[in-house]
Amino acid sequence: MSAATALPTPFTHLEPWLSFALPSEDARMRRRLAASMDELVGLYQALVGDMPAIAAHLDQWPLADLPAAQKPLLYLALSFMESAMAVEAFHQPGPPHATTPESMVVFPGRAEEMLSRA
Amino acid sequence: MNSPANLNPRPFAPRYPQLGTGPVPVSSAVDPAFFELERERIFRGMWVNLILREEDLPQPGDYFVRYLEAQDASILVVRGDDGKLRAFHNVCTHRGNQVADEGAGHCKGFQCNFHGWTFDTRGRLAFVTDEQRFHNLDKSALGLPAVHLDTWRGFIFVNLARRPAQSLELAMAEFNQDLKPFPFEQMVLAGRYRYNVNANWKVTMNAFQESYHGAFVHKLSVGQCISPQDPYLAVQRIKLQENGNQSVSVHLAPHALSPAEKLAFGFGATFTQGGGAAEAYPGTAQAQVRDWGFDLNIIFPYSRINVGAGWYYVDAFWPVAHDRTVYELAYYFPMPQRASEMISQEYSKIVLRDLSREDLATNEATHRSLRSGAIRQMNLSDQEIAVRHLYHTVAARCGKELAK
Repeated sequence: MSAATALPTPFTHLEPWLSFALPSEDARMRRRLAASMDELVGLYQALVGDMPAIAAHLDQWPLADLPAAQKPLLYLALSFMESAMAVEAFHQPGPPHATTPESMVVFPGRAEEMLSRA
Repeated sequence: MNSPANLNPRPFAPRYPQLGTGPVPVSSAVDPAFFELERERIFRGMWVNLILREEDLPQPGDYFVRYLEAQDASILVVRGDDGKLRAFHNVCTHRGNQVADEGAGHCKGFQCNFHGWTFDTRGRLAFVTDEQRFHNLDKSALGLPAVHLDTWRGFIFVNLARRPAQSLELAMAEFNQDLKPFPFEQMVLAGRYRYNVNANWKVTMNAFQESYHGAFVHKLSVGQCISPQDPYLAVQRIKLQENGNQSVSVHLAPHALSPAEKLAFGFGATFTQGGGAAEAYPGTAQAQVRDWGFDLNIIFPYSRINVGAGWYYVDAFWPVAHDRTVYELAYYFPMPQRASEMISQEYSKIVLRDLSREDLATNEATHRSLRSGAIRQMNLSDQEIAVRHLYHTVAARCGKELAK
């Protein structure tokens, strides 16, 4: 599952974080858990101020009609939520005492399936 | 804090005197022979919540196959060309091979890949390869072996007993009043998780039946929802039913929102929102519990339909062996119409996923300890009465009543 190569304007300044713009929850979770705290704090700080503007920008379209060029921005915003638990709650990528990610499987929900089809 | 639960530190034991107050033996969680007893006395005759909704199989020919370890049977659910949902053993009536692979799909019928016998979407035997060489074959009596199927508010259940001891409606008991009004049909699957856990199914479930552990296991993940005035999340509302079903409300204190939580809350309902209301969200105990967060509704023995204001999740602690469990969770929200709603829902999904991973980590350590024989019994507070109730109900069903 490869990452996107570009973000739509006016959010091109977030392109250094494109490796987090992954289309599945499973891939985003594993990217977060494999990341360093420096990366996660960087991602979080880069996006936290822009999140309301990102949401307003993406909300110009019904989710079902979101253009392909806009999807990496949505996937990056979803990864922001992954980084938020690491930065705001745990101060490390995942919970300090938790089952291993290898022992679990994450399946797509209906919205994720819809976005990957269209 | 002046909640009734805190005025009386042990309010529940007097309401359920049949459960007693003594220590509970742990042998039923570690003994392989007891697991076989549970399989015989409980699992084989129960209504199994497949964590599957009617709308997951909308078209004739849509099917779903799952191997149920606890019942040791592969089950096939299919919508027939007449629009009706049916369940069968996934077993060819020729020599017993399976007719469909695990998973979900769409088909016109099921062809056994051993010798090509073919069954239609109503389970009838439609074709026998080289039929003329068989002796007096009565195809009309050789359909896929039927399994009882029923639905409750759109959830698909099966029962492997030849004649189920009671209807699904009866098995749901008080949930027919308390939970039935919840608007399940307005929500869709937002995420699904499956975890392999090296622990007995009861040990696994126990961490999900009380909130006493919240201040420790979840102090970082949802510490903001725990008020210093009520540090151990004393349960305010609990309903233990005769047939083993349980309902426990979890409350979450109002709190300052983190930036991510504020974003999520701004765009939709969240897992951590909490809050009481004069009028309850339909199908919930919102109006009965101060700072209500959500209700855990346990359908005996091992599945749950847990409801919040604007979301729900269904989970099951699938028993695999005496020391192995598959924990599966499906989280439902209204279908997001805009990206902002999807971003909001992602926050709740991640919080719940991280919480689950924290809970399951304690299960494996606990099971290892119990297996070592270092302790023979557990000591339960009034806050953990649902844990006590589970062990009592299981023991009674297995003919091994626990002391009070």
